[in-house]
Order: sequence, then structure tokens, then C-alpha cells
Amino acid sequence: MMRAFLAWLDDRTGINDLVKEALYERIPGGSRWRYVWGSTLVFTFSIQVITGIFLWTAYSPSAQTAWESVYFIQEKMFLGWLVRGIHHFTAQAMTVLLAIHLIQVIIDGAYKAPREVNFWLGLILMKIVLALGLTGYLLPWDQKGYYATKVTTTIMSATPVVGPQVQQLAQGGTEYGHHTLTRFFAMHAGILPGLLIAFLVLHIYVFRRHGIHPKDPKAAPESSFWPDQVLKDGVACLGVLAVVMLLAIFKGAELSPPANPAEAFEAARPEWYFLFLFRFIKIKLIAAMGTAFGALYIPGLLFGILVAMPLIAKWKSGHKFNVAYIWAMMAGIVLLTGIAFYEDGTNEDHQAALAEVHRDGARVTELANGPMMIPVEGAGSLLASDPFTRGPRIFADKCAACHRWNGHNGRGRLIKMTDASGKSQVTMPVATDLASASSREWLRSVIVDYSNHFGHLTQSRWYKAAKEAGEEEYIDPIGGEMASASEAYAELFAKAENKKDLDAIVEHLYSLSGRKADETLVERGGAILGGEPLASGDEMASCLDCHDTIGSDYASPEEAPYYPDLAEYMSKKWLKAFIRDPSKFYGDKNQMPAYDHDAIDDRDLDLLVRWMISDYQTEVHDYPSRLKDVPKPPEVPTAADKGAATE
Amino acid sequence: MSENKTPDDGTQPENEAPETAASSSETASTESGDQPRRNFMVEFFAAAIGLIVGVVPAITGGLFFLHPLFKGKHEAEASARPDAPVKDEGGRLKTTVTLESLPDDGTPLQLKMLDDIVDAWNLFPNQEIGSIWIRKVGEQVIAFNTICPHLGCAVEHRAAKGDFYCPCHLSSFDLDGGKQNEIPPRGMDALDVAVKDDGTVWVKYEKFRGAISEKVSI
Repeated sequence: MMRAFLAWLDDRTGINDLVKEALYERIPGGSRWRYVWGSTLVFTFSIQVITGIFLWTAYSPSAQTAWESVYFIQEKMFLGWLVRGIHHFTAQAMTVLLAIHLIQVIIDGAYKAPREVNFWLGLILMKIVLALGLTGYLLPWDQKGYYATKVTTTIMSATPVVGPQVQQLAQGGTEYGHHTLTRFFAMHAGILPGLLIAFLVLHIYVFRRHGIHPKDPKAAPESSFWPDQVLKDGVACLGVLAVVMLLAIFKGAELSPPANPAEAFEAARPEWYFLFLFRFIKIKLIAAMGTAFGALYIPGLLFGILVAMPLIAKWKSGHKFNVAYIWAMMAGIVLLTGIAFYEDGTNEDHQAALAEVHRDGARVTELANGPMMIPVEGAGSLLASDPFTRGPRIFADKCAACHRWNGHNGRGRLIKMTDASGKSQVTMPVATDLASASSREWLRSVIVDYSNHFGHLTQSRWYKAAKEAGEEEYIDPIGGEMASASEAYAELFAKAENKKDLDAIVEHLYSLSGRKADETLVERGGAILGGEPLASGDEMASCLDCHDTIGSDYASPEEAPYYPDLAEYMSKKWLKAFIRDPSKFYGDKNQMPAYDHDAIDDRDLDLLVRWMISDYQTEVHDYPSRLKDVPKPPEVPTAADKGAATE
Repeated sequence: MSENKTPDDGTQPENEAPETAASSSETASTESGDQPRRNFMVEFFAAAIGLIVGVVPAITGGLFFLHPLFKGKHEAEASARPDAPVKDEGGRLKTTVTLESLPDDGTPLQLKMLDDIVDAWNLFPNQEIGSIWIRKVGEQVIAFNTICPHLGCAVEHRAAKGDFYCPCHLSSFDLDGGKQNEIPPRGMDALDVAVKDDGTVWVKYEKFRGAISEKVSI
């Protein structure tokens, strides 16, 4: 039955000859491992076609849906993360295999006559594969891909004469937008794969015309493609697949936060296989010659030599030159890539930008997974209205000139200045670190360790000027009114029996903002402030003696201009009023600038304050503390010096 | 150096190899020449590995494509939003009417039903998802989807004739939803209604397949 059918089919189509020709290609000298690279490339390309088409069924190219659909593939769809991971890592495997295939063809001399045309076809295929990698990197429309691709299209604009037109055609307008995605997608999923298939057919056709280039025809008896070489090819493909699967499963394809045209990604880098080019145009000498020179002419020249190889080989020692050239080029590429990785790895700013993009990426995924899902404006709007994301940026922008947050600027970066000798040094803060502002620790340290708590104020210009002029400052961390009170408190609360009472006072003050607190402690704290003696029997000067607004309903702070108003202390309302006009809290001794509506609008102020008091929920890891890296103010005695009881 | 393609059968141990290779490797060893066992092993492994490397990405992608079958309908998670639609555990939506407010004479009212719509990654809060006819019958409340079970037009209320009527293909129904002519395949689609203790009326909004005599929810 089967035989009859096959005979009929062969009679009508000639399929037997075709199969025979495909499978029984002669391999003089026997099958070899070194012949597998071309097959692994065909194999990886088929993986890309398969996974690419499946990803296509779920991808939506527009500025408001590209990231969102990729997020949905990655997080919500069945095995989506795996399909995307395979596609992502196979793309990278292809570039590696391309390089190996190219090197192998050159060192074996397989590019020489009569195989010149096939060599050129191969170079065209290489360009197409690289273009596929480039166009694919933009499609998720995330910060990394967006800004990496921007660099490429900017380089396009450096093309002589028609630069800007080329750039506009590529991105579908003068700016990035919907049409950048639709165009890149059409290139990535339509035009380039089509071209690749066409050139691949030619490549294989011409390859078969000349047969394999035997490395050593006498090494073994002649063999055929099936099954000997197929087995070796298959094992190689299996190896490639295993590596890709392992990477896809254990590393996974990253999805950085949605592209934000308003906020440049400072660590923008191309995919690693283009990194050498990126580093090359950064070489001072090259950079000095202009973008077109470094990014177009020189690489064009280097590629031109590659193209000319079959001709060069006709000269005496031409082949040796070619082999030396390809190894030199690979060494250069490896070296530049290594340098780029090393430099980025040791560059703090770069690492901080990466840390931020990972934090944002984790956060936006967390928000999109939440009950509100993603609004139609796109996932970027989730971050734009998120205290955890916006707060640090507003802080870095408005507050970090004086304040710090756990020692950094809110965004995980130390604030540094280059001193006279050219050395970069961490700048001394001139105001308090605010990371603990909403915590019990903050209150505790204000009460028993005031000098230290506000110690950085002594480093400010206004403080030094006031000291020189002999003026008294209310918020003088050394010898000021509250500083002296704090010293007395420290002594009182150093007594073991009073430990619980300090907790009670802290808890009472903590509860002022309406946050959840231990009721018993709050009550006891209130009693102490009301005049009850401490456990040790000592009477304590009550906070209420000066700060008479404790426990009051929040009123306009104009009533208490000399001692900071503590009604609803550290509540959203209190913080907002404080930031809008600190002089209402510190009177004419205030030194912090007022942030009116021109300085910070209501929306940003709200996001800032909500971030400061941790009014958000997240599982995302925040920036690590950099407090250890911040210099201490020299004149301020620490709690340990005074032997005070702090925790 | 190579004399171009000469797929030289003479060098092959088996002349009918193309067929065996084309069908599969199982029959490959039947009449092979020199080293039947080795050749069979090589062919077997070559085919097996070829199959594995091809199947892994294809199966992964294929399963991914079947996502809609695994996940079924996208449902909005219970939301803490203050304006989120209110549903009971039976999936009934709280309507704007109460037992009190419905006309005692059984005149049907048309209500728009609002619910969150989830479309893949987007949530559209409080969207109009359809409308219903609702009427009081004694102390009971009945409700129908306004979609005609015939071909999906909107069924209207004809106050003059005291019936429901579809202007597209002239289906007509009595006020209890029963069909009055042979145009529609079934009566109007009744919906699950609950009257809570406080008199509020809750309705589970569902759509049903058209043009068939059974009532099948979609």
C-alpha cells in the first residue's frame, strides 16, 4: 500500500530523486564534526521561525500594547516565558554560530574559487541575521531595547547625504512611536526572514553545486550526508538546543520596564554581540573622527576586506593573510567586548542605572499583576503614578542636594564630587538622612541622640556662618535647646527600668500620624507626656512643654512658629505642610527652602510623601543602604561618646 | 576540485535507501549491505535526534498557542476599587432596581448591565456589557437577555401589544419570554435573578448561543 503510494507520488513529482539528492550528498573523506556549523545555523533559524510565529500570535505592535503584550506572554500565557526565552537565546546562539561558521569556512579555505559566490551569499545572510537581532531587540518596547535601538537609528542618521531620511524611514517618522514598531515588526517578522529564506536557498543550492569542501579527502572513506553526517549535525543541534533551553529556563529573557521617552536610560547598551561596535566608536581617536567614520566607514572597510577575501586568496600568501585577518578581527571583537563589559561592570553609575531599571521592571510587573491590571494608556502610566517608583526620582531631583536617603540620593546612587586633586569623593550631606523619617527609630534618635541625628546640619554653610557670627540656632545640634534636652533624656533613658517608657513615648509620637501602634504603649506614652513620672521615679521635662501641639487635631502650623508643630507628626498632611513651607515650623531660623506649587506640584508632592512614609505595598527589593559610605560630620559627638542608651 | 553533484548510487550500500530514509529509519536495516548493525544504529540515532530537536521547539510553541483552551475566560479578580461592580458569590451583579421600584403591573423595564471587562492585559472598569428586560411578577422578579435567541438582534417591548418583539426577523415573545411564533428557535433567554432581603435585585448576566433550540451559555 505505502510502497504503491510512494511509487505513484514519485511518478508524479520525482520526489525520490529529490530526497536522494538531499540525503545522499557525497562527503569525500567522511563525515566530520567540523562540518556541523552550517546545519546548526539552519536549525537555529528554524527554531526562530517556529517560536517567532507563535510569539506573533500574541504580540501587538504599538506603543501602548507592545510591552503589555510581551508582559502578558511572559507572565500570564501558558509557557510564554519559555517560548520567549527560547527565541531570545536562540537569537544570541545564532550570532555565535555565525562567527564559528565564518571562521571555519575561512581557515578551511572553503571560501576560495569556485565557492566565492557562496561565500558572499553567506556574508549577506550574516547581515540579515544581525539585522534580525537588531530589529527584534526593539519589539518589547522596554527601556533597554528602546534606548539601545535609539543609538542605532541615530547612527543611521550619520549616513552621508541621506542620513536623516534613512533614519526617518526606519523609524516611520522623526520620532519613535507606533510606526517605529509596525515598521520594525514588518522587517523582523516579514521582510528579513523572507530575504533570509531566499538567500538561504541560494546558499544551499550553490553549496550543493560545488559539494562540501573536504578538509582532508583522504582522511577516511567517502561517506554520505545520511546518516553519518546527519547524526553529527543532529548531535550538534541537540547541544545547541540544550544550551538554549538551559538559558531559557534558568536565566530567562528579561523584560525591562516599558519604554519611557521622558526618561533616558543611562545604561543604554546594544545586545552583547554588538557591544564591540559600541565600544569601538567610543575609542577617543575614533570618536574624534566623527560618528560616520567610526560607526559606518571603518566597519564598512573591515567588512569590505572580508568580502574581498576570495580575491585576496588568489595572491601568494593571500589565504594566510585572510586567516590571520579573521583571527585578528575576532580577537579585536573579543577584546573590545571584554573591555566594554569590564568598564560597565566597574562603573558605579552604570550599575546604579541597571539596578534602577531592574527595580522598575520588577515593580511594573508587580503592579500589572495587581487587580487593576494595565490601563489603556499603557503600563508606563502604572509607574508614573506609583510612589515607590516616582518618590525616589522626585527626592533625587528636589531633596538630595542636602538630604540623603539611606546614604544615597534616593535612586541608589552616592552623591560625589571631584575634589581639587581630581579624586572623586562622597559629598558630605548638609541635612538629615530621611530614610528613617517615618520610623520609630527616627523618633527614638531625636529624643536621645539629637546631636547625632541632626549632626549633618553642622556641615552646612548657613550653620558655619551663624556660628562665626555668634548667632544662636534653635536647631543647633551642638548645644542647642533641644540638643541639651536630648542629652538629659539620654541620661534618663539609659536607666534600664526606663527602657519601656522610652518605647512608650516613641510609640505615642509614632501614633500621631494615625499609623497602627501598640495601644498600651501609646497610652503610657501619653501619660508620661502628661506629667507622670518615669519608672525610675524621675520626672521628665515633657515634650509638651515646648511642642504644645502634640495630640491636637492638625491645625494651621502658624500657631507655633518656634517649636516645630507636632500635631499629626509625620502624617501625609504634616509632611506636605512642612515641605510646602518649613518656616511655619521653624520660624525665622528655618533654612530649608519652601517648595511651593512652582517648585513641586500637588501630584509629585503626594507621590514623594507617600514614598517617604512607605504608603505602598511591594515585594520588590529596594536599593541597599549606603549609610556606611557617607562621611560623618567631624564635630559631632556620637551617642557612643556620650554613653547614651540608644538602640 | 569536486566534480559537481553526482549522487553516486554505486557507493551506497543500499539502492532503495531513499524510500527507507523518506519513510523512517525502522526499515533501513532490512536489506543493508556491509555493516547492517552499525548502519542501523547510526540511522536510528540520526533520526531520533533529528526528531527531538525538531519536536522540542514545536511542542513548546504549540502548547503556548493552546493557551486559550487552558485558561478559558478571563475574569477580573475581585477588586478593592471603590467603584468596582458588586457581585454576589453566584456571580450575580447588583442592579439599580429593587423589588419596590419595579412596576407592580408587570411592565418590563430595560436595564443596562455594567461590569469590568478584562481583555488580556487590560481592565476596562464598569463597561456596559449588555442589557436586560426585567419585570415583576407577583413577588417574583424575572429577567431576560435582550439579545434575540434567533439571530442576535435586540428584542424590543411592544407596550401596545403587550409582548416582546424583534424588529429584524419578526420574532415575538410573550412577557414571560415564551415564543409566540416559529421564527425564533427557543424562548427568550431567562437570566438568574435573586431578590435579597433588603429588596435589591441581583442578576447574573450571561449570553447564549443563537439560532439553536437549546440554551447554551457562552
